[in-house]
Amino acid sequence: MFDTLGERLNKALDGVRGSGNLTEDQVKKVTREIRLALLEADVNYGVVKEFVSNVRERATGAEVSKALSPGQQVVKIVDEELANLMGGTAHKLSFASRPPTVVMLAGLNGHGKTTTAGKLALFVRKLGKNPYLVACDTYRPAAIDQLQQIGRELSVPVYTEGTGPKPEEIAERGIKEARDCGHNFVIVDTAGRQVVDMEMMEEIRRVRKASKPHSVLLVLDVVTGQNAVEVAQAFQEYADFDGMVLTKLDGDARGGAALSVVSVTGRPVKFASEGEKMGEFDYFYPDRMAGRILGMGDVLTLIEKAEQQMDQAEAEAQGKKLISGKFTFEDFLQQMQMIKKMGPISGLLGMIPGLGKQLKDVEIDDRQLGRVEAMITSMTVKERRNPKLLQNPSRARRIARGSGATQQDVQKLVKQFNEMQKMMRQMGKGGGMSRIPGLSGRR
Amino acid sequence: MARSWRNFFRKSTDEEQEKGQTVASEPASEDVEEGNGHRPVDLEPAEDVLTEDVPTAEEVQAERKEPAPEDVWGVEEALSGEVEEALPEPTPVEAESDAEAVAEAQESAGWLGRLRRGLSRSRDSFVGQLNAAVAEFRDVDDEEFWETVEEIMISSDVGVPTTAKLVAELEQESLEKNITSGTQLRELMVEHATRMLEGPVELDVSHKPTVILMVGVNGTGKTTTIGKLSRFLPGTTMFAAGDTFRAAAIEQLQTWGERTGTPVVARERGADAAAVAHEAIHAARREGTDVLLIDTAGRLHTKVNLMAELDKVQRVIRRQLPGAPHEVLMTVDATTGQNGLRQAQMFKEVAGLTGIILTKLDGTAKGGIALAIANEVGVPIKLISVGEKVEDLHPFDAREFAEALFGDL
Repeated sequence: MFDTLGERLNKALDGVRGSGNLTEDQVKKVTREIRLALLEADVNYGVVKEFVSNVRERATGAEVSKALSPGQQVVKIVDEELANLMGGTAHKLSFASRPPTVVMLAGLNGHGKTTTAGKLALFVRKLGKNPYLVACDTYRPAAIDQLQQIGRELSVPVYTEGTGPKPEEIAERGIKEARDCGHNFVIVDTAGRQVVDMEMMEEIRRVRKASKPHSVLLVLDVVTGQNAVEVAQAFQEYADFDGMVLTKLDGDARGGAALSVVSVTGRPVKFASEGEKMGEFDYFYPDRMAGRILGMGDVLTLIEKAEQQMDQAEAEAQGKKLISGKFTFEDFLQQMQMIKKMGPISGLLGMIPGLGKQLKDVEIDDRQLGRVEAMITSMTVKERRNPKLLQNPSRARRIARGSGATQQDVQKLVKQFNEMQKMMRQMGKGGGMSRIPGLSGRR
Repeated sequence: MARSWRNFFRKSTDEEQEKGQTVASEPASEDVEEGNGHRPVDLEPAEDVLTEDVPTAEEVQAERKEPAPEDVWGVEEALSGEVEEALPEPTPVEAESDAEAVAEAQESAGWLGRLRRGLSRSRDSFVGQLNAAVAEFRDVDDEEFWETVEEIMISSDVGVPTTAKLVAELEQESLEKNITSGTQLRELMVEHATRMLEGPVELDVSHKPTVILMVGVNGTGKTTTIGKLSRFLPGTTMFAAGDTFRAAAIEQLQTWGERTGTPVVARERGADAAAVAHEAIHAARREGTDVLLIDTAGRLHTKVNLMAELDKVQRVIRRQLPGAPHEVLMTVDATTGQNGLRQAQMFKEVAGLTGIILTKLDGTAKGGIALAIANEVGVPIKLISVGEKVEDLHPFDAREFAEALFGDL
């Protein structure tokens, strides 16, 4: 439905390549495309205006590097500016010196507060905390049931008083109860509300006052559109949140709303919530978001890095070899070494749009890569070129000894390599991925 | 944005016969006129004062949390030919009785008021801008004016392609018609947006049982909408708790069942949703239920497995009751941005949507995504929800929505 920003920019700058500095005219064309891409990603109109003028300033007269097309050059600037705005590093949780740490959740209806409450509880338990949930949504039918069911699943106690008492009273008593029972992390779930509902907004102010939270998190659905700004401003006024949880990130929304909220309120996104399973929750890494909003992963960064590290012709030859199934351990090793130069492999995979999801279950560990490298270097050239030889147990044993691995490890590697070859052949037939050389995961 | 519930439900299976009575069932020109016919009634604020002490049958019924009485729908009459204390049936739009006009004005003043209050916070600046632009509008070449229009549309989540299309149409037509006043132009804007939004609005409840399947991504208000809609549906209703995934989703629907006195077919959490649907259709047939509302779990359109599950639910329903589900309605949260397009596209492909329900219009969101969906995906908007109360659910009125969008409230 949408062209990616990369495609658009290349169209806009067709034919202009490595020509010294970017001219004003080029920058104008390019910033127009950036503006559209950001709007399509649901970044707030006002925020886009400001952002684009920043980019224009930086891009005008910027030197075009030889390795990049002018379009890529501008995208790089945009990417940097985005990352700048979103904050560079993840915000880790801090805990109260005098427990319990109290975290209150707030947000619009249906954005995922109750699910987030459960996920956060599990998350802090993994950090060694003893969480406790307080159910203050006295409005939505069965909201308390929902939190109780989640609590049961996670074996986290849930404090409820039904739907009768006022939420602020429930919160206060719930937190006291937690303290008395020795829980050191309390999560207060609140009802979803619309920001124009003044009664409800006053209520969240009271709940906040009563719970004296160490942190208030605004739970925001990543599909949120232009009004994210108004929503955030209202919650800032009434609930004074200090960070956001971005939910439903497993969909394909670009999530420009996150950018809007961060730039308008100055409050960072702290957590990323991915799916419906309780474990799919983590700190938010702002650098990953920039690429998502641009709608292209960090594919240009990947290309850029690749261009720096390897010769284009060679890369294409490698790619062809890969999908033709004639790929050997020798090629594998060579590529692994190139990839290592580009940075952590998990990061690289995340840069490929659409691939990150497919490879989600593939465990990628750079240390494992080192072990694989050791095993391959322990093979003879003949073995590397003809992996079938490795079915011989005595060869496997020798390689295991040489690389400090076990014989099973070697056999596993060979098996995986064969599977990978098969997979690549199939992909080759499907025509996908032919431009992306040398990626492999360990399952 | 909202129209009366009257004639919203299509009961007769004989479409020809029904046509005369249908409000806005066809797109194109006819509809625009009917929209016009409707507007004066809905926008008469004076009526609202006059009718303060006239609680309408509709309201009372809604308060009592029971299905509305037949005469509101003209349902039984249409089928049996009996006309009791019915409102004049044959020409519903022109010959609306005073009572109904009053009821409608009151109803709409209520929701319009709420909507206006809701939007005022964010709208003020836009309306101000648009008003200023409209006041200063001189000719079609006024770049600033068009920029303001674009800004308003995009800030309402209409999205770039649909905004571009509308603005191009407007420029073209204002050139052709040699429009010089801002007021005329605003009228033109509303007209174009209305045309884009119009589609067959009414719900087909002519089958027995009629099966309505509710779908959508997580947290958009499927269960709540089922609860609300059941209050307006003619005849007897039944719920099927097809969201067997989310914690307490079944309980949530059961609560609605208790509130509305509707039987709920449910299994334990984790059960096969298709099996629940199957059982519910069986029960609905056995009980002679008129309308069966099937809830489903929220699912992101990107989850292949979950979309496949929805397809399975569909197939099971179809096999058991050919022609069903008769309506597949997707809830879309008004706060949704451009991703709403992909959502609607995917759900249309997998579930064959018959309509969109725009929910949570009571916030600061303007729901412009509805315009984008109507334009780019081609699924009509059938209902809107402007608040948490049951009475906040309304049949969609394209013209009023368009007017709300351009701040002409």
